[in-house]
Amino acid sequence: MATPEAGTLVSTIDVGARIDDITDATGWLGTLADEQGWPDATRFALELSLEEALTNVVSYGFAGTDRQPRIRIECWRLPEGRVAVRLIDNGVPFDPTSIAEPVVPDSIEDAKIGGHGVQLMRHFLETLDYNREGEENRLTLVAKPAG
Amino acid sequence: MHIEREQVGSDVVLKVAGRLDTPNAKPFEASLMEVVSMTDGGIVVNLAGVDYVSSSGLRALLVAGKAMRGAKRKLALSSLQPQIREVFDISGFSTLFEIN
Repeated sequence: MATPEAGTLVSTIDVGARIDDITDATGWLGTLADEQGWPDATRFALELSLEEALTNVVSYGFAGTDRQPRIRIECWRLPEGRVAVRLIDNGVPFDPTSIAEPVVPDSIEDAKIGGHGVQLMRHFLETLDYNREGEENRLTLVAKPAG
Repeated sequence: MHIEREQVGSDVVLKVAGRLDTPNAKPFEASLMEVVSMTDGGIVVNLAGVDYVSSSGLRALLVAGKAMRGAKRKLALSSLQPQIREVFDISGFSTLFEIN
């Protein structure tokens, strides 16, 4: 599995824990995509996956706690054209990789609202890896190689 | 995000442009539900101008779709860009909505 430590740290950003702060993260990633010349598929996969992961963190990571949110995002350039984004937060423990695939509903009446974010991340990414280190969730998103 | 509204026969066509992301999802859902409650015909959501959709955008469409189905009215989607269509296919939403 490609890990960030096998590559070069390109950029980091600290973001707030409100829904509107997600725009800061996706804007930062879009600028990196332009600067680094990522293929459209890499950009879309990482932007979508970062948004899905960050939406979970800001929606549920700090609910019912009085801890001061700390959310940091790192972008790593890996060998063989891969790009990794790592999301580090001090919210409650949450492992998105443990979420079961939603059942594909037969009708709109049966369709459940929610649960599709992790499904999309699994599809568009090569690697979705989680670990808990101390008080931090660490979620690594690796895009499929270009081409 | 920008939404244009047009009456075409008994249907309302909503031309959506921009990003259906998490920050835009609530205003998008509110716009859809306003049309659901203020009209009584079908609704067509034209997504030709949408270049990005996340699960929050899907959720907004599902909320409106459920309301329309409950009222026995038609909600259709049209003109999805390829990457948007892929998101709909992966999530199973392609089978839940009429897509033109």
